Amino acid sequence: MSVMPPVPVPSLRTSPTLLEISADNWRLASLVGVVVSALAVAALPADVAFWIVGVMVALVAAAFVVNAYRRRYYGGLLVSPAIAVLFAMNIFPLLWSLGLSFFAYQSNRQSIWFVGLNNYIKVLTNDIAAADNWHALINTGMFVVLTVSAQMTVGFMLAMLFAKQFPLRKYLLILVLTPMMLSVVASGVFFTYYYDPTFGVLSYVINSIAGGQFILMDSKAGAVAGIVFADAWMWSPFVMLLVLAGLVSVPKYLYEAAAIDRVSAWRRFWTITFPYIRGLLMLALLFRTIEAFKLADLVILLTKGGNDTMTISYHLIRIANEQNKTSEGAAISYIMLFMVIVLTNLYLYLANRRTRES
Amino acid sequence: MTTTKIKGAMVAAGLAASLMIGGAGPSLADEVTLRMAVPDWPPTRIMKKFFDEQYKPKSGNAVKLEVDFIPWPDFYTRVNASLTSGERKYNFIVSDSQWLGAFVEGGYFRKVNDLLDADPEFKKTFMDIHPSLLNAYSTYPYKSQNYYGFPQFPDVLVTYARKDIVCDETEQKNFLAKYKKKLACTGEEIDAMTWDDFRNVGEFLRRRKGEMLAGKPAEDDFYGIAFQAGKGYDFSSMQVNGFVWQMGGDIWDETKVPKGQAQGVVNSPAAVKALEKYLSLLEYMPPVAKTGTMDIFKTDELFREGKVAMNVNWIGLGEASLDPKISRVSDKLVFGMMPGTMGPDGKMVRWSNIGGQPFVLTTWTTDAQIKEAVEFVKWWLSSPIQHQFAAAGGQSGIKSVYSDPKYVTYRPWNRTWAPSLDWQNDVWHVPQFFELLTQQQDQFDRAITGKQNAKTTLDNIAKFQQNLLSEAGLIK
Repeated sequence: MSVMPPVPVPSLRTSPTLLEISADNWRLASLVGVVVSALAVAALPADVAFWIVGVMVALVAAAFVVNAYRRRYYGGLLVSPAIAVLFAMNIFPLLWSLGLSFFAYQSNRQSIWFVGLNNYIKVLTNDIAAADNWHALINTGMFVVLTVSAQMTVGFMLAMLFAKQFPLRKYLLILVLTPMMLSVVASGVFFTYYYDPTFGVLSYVINSIAGGQFILMDSKAGAVAGIVFADAWMWSPFVMLLVLAGLVSVPKYLYEAAAIDRVSAWRRFWTITFPYIRGLLMLALLFRTIEAFKLADLVILLTKGGNDTMTISYHLIRIANEQNKTSEGAAISYIMLFMVIVLTNLYLYLANRRTRES
Repeated sequence: MTTTKIKGAMVAAGLAASLMIGGAGPSLADEVTLRMAVPDWPPTRIMKKFFDEQYKPKSGNAVKLEVDFIPWPDFYTRVNASLTSGERKYNFIVSDSQWLGAFVEGGYFRKVNDLLDADPEFKKTFMDIHPSLLNAYSTYPYKSQNYYGFPQFPDVLVTYARKDIVCDETEQKNFLAKYKKKLACTGEEIDAMTWDDFRNVGEFLRRRKGEMLAGKPAEDDFYGIAFQAGKGYDFSSMQVNGFVWQMGGDIWDETKVPKGQAQGVVNSPAAVKALEKYLSLLEYMPPVAKTGTMDIFKTDELFREGKVAMNVNWIGLGEASLDPKISRVSDKLVFGMMPGTMGPDGKMVRWSNIGGQPFVLTTWTTDAQIKEAVEFVKWWLSSPIQHQFAAAGGQSGIKSVYSDPKYVTYRPWNRTWAPSLDWQNDVWHVPQFFELLTQQQDQFDRAITGKQNAKTTLDNIAKFQQNLLSEAGLIK
């Protein structure tokens, strides 16, 4: 019996000291990066400083990569591109806009100064600005409740329908899914004409039956109904897809056993079907609530926020984009973000609690 | 060395010599590119076409005009994003006149006084622009001597009318019997219309489907009048302002900074009466007016589809109404000035809000580009090109051009152009323009959709403007 000699394992390098010049000295690279960037920002024109800071970021990133390679942190090395992209595209802009919300800054002006929490105080309490914000927020809450309820109800019923086999089911399913695949702009333009009192089908049909002049969008109730219907038309299929996925995963033998036991249809649904789709329903509810909170596109296309249908997202677009009040817009964004996070966690907490209970 | 090698060396030496001589010689022409952001519609397409076909720079340089045609609904967003992001992409930008303040203060639009002073010929052409247009399209502060823009497509509101309806004998007879006044049928008669006459047309020509209209049963519900009453952009302010000025009211007047007030001016009794007048006409318009979405494109569509007898709209949308492919009324049109208000002295008051756009130079345009840009603008404002532009459907703000007898023959609405120009005012050029506009549009929308009366509407607008402009130091 021969004994294999042990494979020599190369010894791991020791970390270089702070001031040692080495390709893997990430501490020194970070120090140099911070100092040079700070000096560049302070002393050089913005367009030159931008590139210098970019080079410094690349230098620090390279030092981290070499360090990870030499010390065999392969896991970290493999995920680092994803983290870099996430940081550049998501975290950095998020932090940047958070910072901006504490300054007085307009994107079409050259000046900027620190104002602390003033933007938040203004958007929440100023007697002119805050009134519009709160009003838009209340409208948004109304749209969240109405659109999500409509989508959940219609989506759920469609899923129950399509869970069964019937002639032309495959083709009807494609047809029902089509609105979800259309662009919002195309749908918005379609509904603009659909509701138009002169050219629209809706007014034409109702006028033919009831006589008179039917104008759906001439009141807040009508305008809200128009937007909710259009949104439900587009996004109920999304809820349907998720619920359908749950429905088809229910084992057939459970229904067969229930049939042998002559279990009522309601009890069959509540004790067999619902537990399988509950998680997916919660997921659909979560997704649609977050999306409904950001509702702006259909409002812009159908009413321009008129007839008292202004939502907080559209209001934000006007403030940050049209009026260039960047900092004020950032403050509103973070208040919206906070609300969405609270709402999401509330859902998740409720979902988890129900799961634990069951 | 073989013969072949010798020949090869000689050819190489000759080639090198010729390259050296060529390289050392002076360059004959530089290539200069001017980049321009414009809305995508006929007046800017025509400009580009003329440039490509006709423009020959006097400098001998190879001048290229690269144009980004941006759809109207996205135009402001794209221009604003380009300017504020610092990309410095464009040398020329077509700008609504009201954006001047915001973009001049932002450091994006270049003042052109030095260019005008340096070139007497250029200045002479520039000063031949009608003063209303010059003030609106070029000055910041408004009506000051600081010049920024040049007219690209100047525009005014005019009345579009269906002569097959308004000139119909039966309609004429019945209208005269009812209102003791002739139903305006010719361009000159439309010119003489007041808003009361316009209202009467609205009331008289409203017909349900199947009722007789100009000797035939109406194919669909028909309406007498239309004008802009939409919440988007400036699609009610541009019309309301005309009513306010005509009836003796005023908007906040930026030429009176810092003493000019908003409170008491914007919501003066005359202004309230004017807004009430504007709102009172909506009941005679197509039902979409009640939804707050009747913008200039909707009234244009309704008119071209034959649903309306008279429509007040910008000249800029006129070409479409003449095109039989997209207009059911292309062969039935007559044009007049926008209705006015009879003053106490018996003279017609015709104040209106100016439309159209200038194009402006940006501050990062290099000296070489500026030199070519000035030559391009001089060429664009030259009489032959302005005549060609007008003949192709554009408008000219140059006095010597629009005063030419030929001018009125180019398009049926051109007859109204020169008389309308003296009555044009503009809204605020200040950097707070968008805040002022969006709040005002919101408030007008509430009035248009019947949620509040004219007094409350103007009180809310005045309070907002007083607060905003005081904070900005424009009211003291």
